[in-house]
Amino acid sequence: MSKTINLITAPLSKANPVTVLILGICSALAVTAKLKPAIVMALSVTVVTALSNLIISLLRKGIPSKIRIIVQLIVVATLVILVDQFLKAFMYDVSKQLSVFVGLIITNCIVMGRLEAFAMGHKPLESLLDGIGNGLGYGSILVIVAFFRELFGSGTLLGYQVIPQGLYDFGYINNGLMILPPMALIIIGIIIWLQKPEEDSK
Amino acid sequence: MSDRYIFRYIIILVAIVSVLLSAAAMWLQPYQHRNQENEKRVSILKAAGITEVNSDNVEQLFKQHCTSVVGGELPMYTIDNQITVIPMKGNGLWGPIWGYIGIAADGKTVTGAVFDHKSETPGLGAEITTDYYQSQYKGKQLQLNNNNVSLEVDAITGATRTSVGIEKMIDQTLKLYLPYLEGNE
Repeated sequence: MSKTINLITAPLSKANPVTVLILGICSALAVTAKLKPAIVMALSVTVVTALSNLIISLLRKGIPSKIRIIVQLIVVATLVILVDQFLKAFMYDVSKQLSVFVGLIITNCIVMGRLEAFAMGHKPLESLLDGIGNGLGYGSILVIVAFFRELFGSGTLLGYQVIPQGLYDFGYINNGLMILPPMALIIIGIIIWLQKPEEDSK
Repeated sequence: MSDRYIFRYIIILVAIVSVLLSAAAMWLQPYQHRNQENEKRVSILKAAGITEVNSDNVEQLFKQHCTSVVGGELPMYTIDNQITVIPMKGNGLWGPIWGYIGIAADGKTVTGAVFDHKSETPGLGAEITTDYYQSQYKGKQLQLNNNNVSLEVDAITGATRTSVGIEKMIDQTLKLYLPYLEGNE
């Protein structure tokens, strides 16, 4: 049982796809300027990793090994297109903010990485949990990064102003640099730095 | 595994996937189309100064306020028989930008402007969609002289190319409508 739970909890900490495996950095830079798109992106990636892991795991015995990457890609691309179309139909505002990055989930290394490394060799249920765990592991980093970037870059959280107006009157200004992609890299770097000694001591 | 198996496998897989995607596209298209249509209407009404509009009440408000739609090469929308809303298209830094500008019956006073973009940088060029940027346009007077239209607003720091794109888009579009605007004056 603890092994099953571990499939979900490990990617959140000691096997985190972003901070430990350093995968999925590109989209982590792009969609984390504001919190809301980051949350939707996190959920979208979780849905895609979970379902593609499940489907590939179900198919794993029949997939010809010569074309397994192509089959994985077809499954991932199909799911991503469905998610994209779905967002456009029912969450139009958010899908506009995410623009091309939903489509780019296809190229997210985490998705293909988990399919190749885990789903091809494990049972469907385990693969589903692994997919959810990795999606959430990726999503948690997105949300942490977006939290700091929106807070210091725009003074808001989820679009609501949280830094009191009084502070601005004293001459406080939002840090425009936080909105630019390089700061996302620096925040991810700080998270890795904070996480590292803890891992080494184990 | 034989080549024959591989071919059969991939053909069946692709067939299933294409049926699935086509079905999803057909099912979702009406919703997507409606979203796009409503988004356009929200922009038109906002440019005409009707700010309480949102994606829920837009269909009713649009029916109520929009009195005429002119298509063709120089499209325009008339709101409440007075305000002319003109659609604009231009280029930002990364891709197309577009918008609507509303002009009151005197042919000079801007009632509002709405902008949108395909892929401008979030936090920089993408700020053209925010209220604080767009609200600058409200109440500004167009200067019509020497076949030129001018309008002064603050640009966005760090988004030079997008700001210049907006400027060009407004200039070039309104120039085409000059005879019409001057006729109203």
